[in-house]
Amino acid sequence: MSLNKKITKEYYNDILKNNVSLAEGVIKQSAENYIKNNDFPTTKDENWRKTNLTNLLKHQFSCAKKVNFEEQTLSAFNISGLKANILVFVNGYFYQEYSKIIEKNNSLQIESICRIKEKNPEIFEKYFNKTNIENANIFTAFNTAYAQDGAFVYIPKNKIVKNSIHIYNFTDGNTQKTISQVRNLFIAEENSEAKIIQSFHSLSINYTLSNIVTEIFLEQNSKINFNTFQGEGDDAHQINNIQVVQKRNSSFSNNIATLCGSLVRNDLGVKIDGEGCETDLNGLYLPDREQHIDNTIFVQHLKPHSYSNQLYRGIIDNKASSVFFGKVLVGEGAVKTFAEQNNNTVLLTKYAKSHSKPQLEIYNDDVKCSHGSTTGQLDKDALFYMQTRGIGEKRAKILLLNAFAAEVLDKIKIDTYKNYLKFLIDKRMTGEKISGHCYKMGECRVY
Amino acid sequence: MIKIKNLHASIEGKEILKGINLEIKPGEVHAIMGPNGSGKSTLASVLAGRDIYEVNSGEVEFDGKNLLELKTEIRAREGLFLAFQYPVEIPGVTITNFIKSAVEEQRKHRGLEQLTAAKFLKMMKEKKALVEMEAKLNNRAVNAGFSGGEKKKNEVFQMAMLDPKFAILDETDSGLDIDALRIVANGVNKLKNGNNAFLVITHYQRLLDYIVPDFVHILYDGKIVKTGTKELALELEDKGYNWIKK
Repeated sequence: MSLNKKITKEYYNDILKNNVSLAEGVIKQSAENYIKNNDFPTTKDENWRKTNLTNLLKHQFSCAKKVNFEEQTLSAFNISGLKANILVFVNGYFYQEYSKIIEKNNSLQIESICRIKEKNPEIFEKYFNKTNIENANIFTAFNTAYAQDGAFVYIPKNKIVKNSIHIYNFTDGNTQKTISQVRNLFIAEENSEAKIIQSFHSLSINYTLSNIVTEIFLEQNSKINFNTFQGEGDDAHQINNIQVVQKRNSSFSNNIATLCGSLVRNDLGVKIDGEGCETDLNGLYLPDREQHIDNTIFVQHLKPHSYSNQLYRGIIDNKASSVFFGKVLVGEGAVKTFAEQNNNTVLLTKYAKSHSKPQLEIYNDDVKCSHGSTTGQLDKDALFYMQTRGIGEKRAKILLLNAFAAEVLDKIKIDTYKNYLKFLIDKRMTGEKISGHCYKMGECRVY
Repeated sequence: MIKIKNLHASIEGKEILKGINLEIKPGEVHAIMGPNGSGKSTLASVLAGRDIYEVNSGEVEFDGKNLLELKTEIRAREGLFLAFQYPVEIPGVTITNFIKSAVEEQRKHRGLEQLTAAKFLKMMKEKKALVEMEAKLNNRAVNAGFSGGEKKKNEVFQMAMLDPKFAILDETDSGLDIDALRIVANGVNKLKNGNNAFLVITHYQRLLDYIVPDFVHILYDGKIVKTGTKELALELEDKGYNWIKK
């Protein structure tokens, strides 16, 4: 089942018509070779054991097209109170007319990656695909060779970006089964700092596949706080791969909140390639119906004195399922590493499933590492206790679930975004319908 | 206030309560004593509505209503309170948020206007003072990491906030040192008025020096085998439970 059978004949023509090709030369060739010689991962691959792509691959996809988009649509998905630099992508294409950069600075770049490639090829080439992600799997190869566009953020030395950077990604299948491919590149130069939010939304309930690759480079002493909100429709699929390289004393925090989507796969790789780094990875996922959400994480500690933490929590409803596969590798030289991993899931029904596998691989004996995993129902004793105080069963459940989620949400550093998520999650729990933000969200509820 | 008639209850097919009869009137304090496994905590749980127990027969009339037909939260809103022997830890839910939800639901049920934030906080402060509970606990998660004494104070604090008609104290004294015991008992005594009633479950006569009961019942093997006044508790302390078993 090779990739070319899964896309329409017109796919490559459509891509050529629309775009600047990001990859060239050796990189492009390497990616194309990978596509030619490899197939889609199956459940026989260790990294995909619990995420089955069979249903997704029953279909043939065309290249997502540019669609009409209106200002008012954007405002419907707005995070209330957030003052941000905004980039807008629809179906993988950049919509400059809706993008708004409020923080003007000569060397700060918040742009479309295709435009940067033309305007500033030096910086583009210095970093593009330097995580060698093109041959990780067929999705990253496909993205490397044929991504449409994506966000580019370059934070110059010593610059602290005060306002957040909000990157909107909308998909609109427009009655066709389409693929959108987004390629992001974020670079934080020495001693710089930025907060980034990337949000994914569907504009229609269509069978879509978003294939996203994000590369993030943190130079010495820099800080990036990266937040991903996934709220696409019930027929939307997302393969999202984030690769991070951290240099000395840098700090990277990642918060990923998945509220909707038929199949969501998040691969997150962090290479700690400098001493004294901090890496804080958090995730919250709330699949329902028959949705499937997979978070596969690989943190490599290659230098001494670094700290990494993973806290992933899931609330699994109906017949939904989730995967947490978190691996931490501590290299021979990475002494005094402190690594923690925690995954907790609550199953709301007897059909809900959670697969959890925290894993440590340690090659030196001067480290402090721990991991833990819990899966269970809501605490019946706590529910009864609350009911004896007059709190109704539903409200008690919502209080407990909100409390469970809060531990992850409270790690989010952008207050307006945190409140936005709390609002959406609370609505989700109570089953109240809200327009926009997350398709059909009103149907997700606590029984 | 509450009339229990020939109450039989079991857990996993094993009968624990074998015909309890008890009537408590407004303004009264009753104490139930008895050896381990006699059914004291089961009685408390059944009255509160714990679903792991099955009521096989009998009736409980609470303030004119059929208590056994009501869901746990409705019993609470109707004015029944259970102070737990082992208060449950609820990570992530702050005391303020927890008790606010409870007060709101109870006031709604009783057709009372909701309290303003200022009035609610003032009330919290007053009721905390009643059990000498530290203010800094407000933003801590309910019972999480509390000492035994703090947990029991928290139970009495919640009782004070909810102002029940009928409160069951399930071994509220166990595990308390004498100072904590005095504080907890004082709290209960201050809440006593002519209109409410208390059922105090305890192993030890000591608590009854502080919370003086009008009646003492001895529960043995699922039945009340003896009823008397506070002197009965002293006699029991003196002679031990073997005296009852005969």
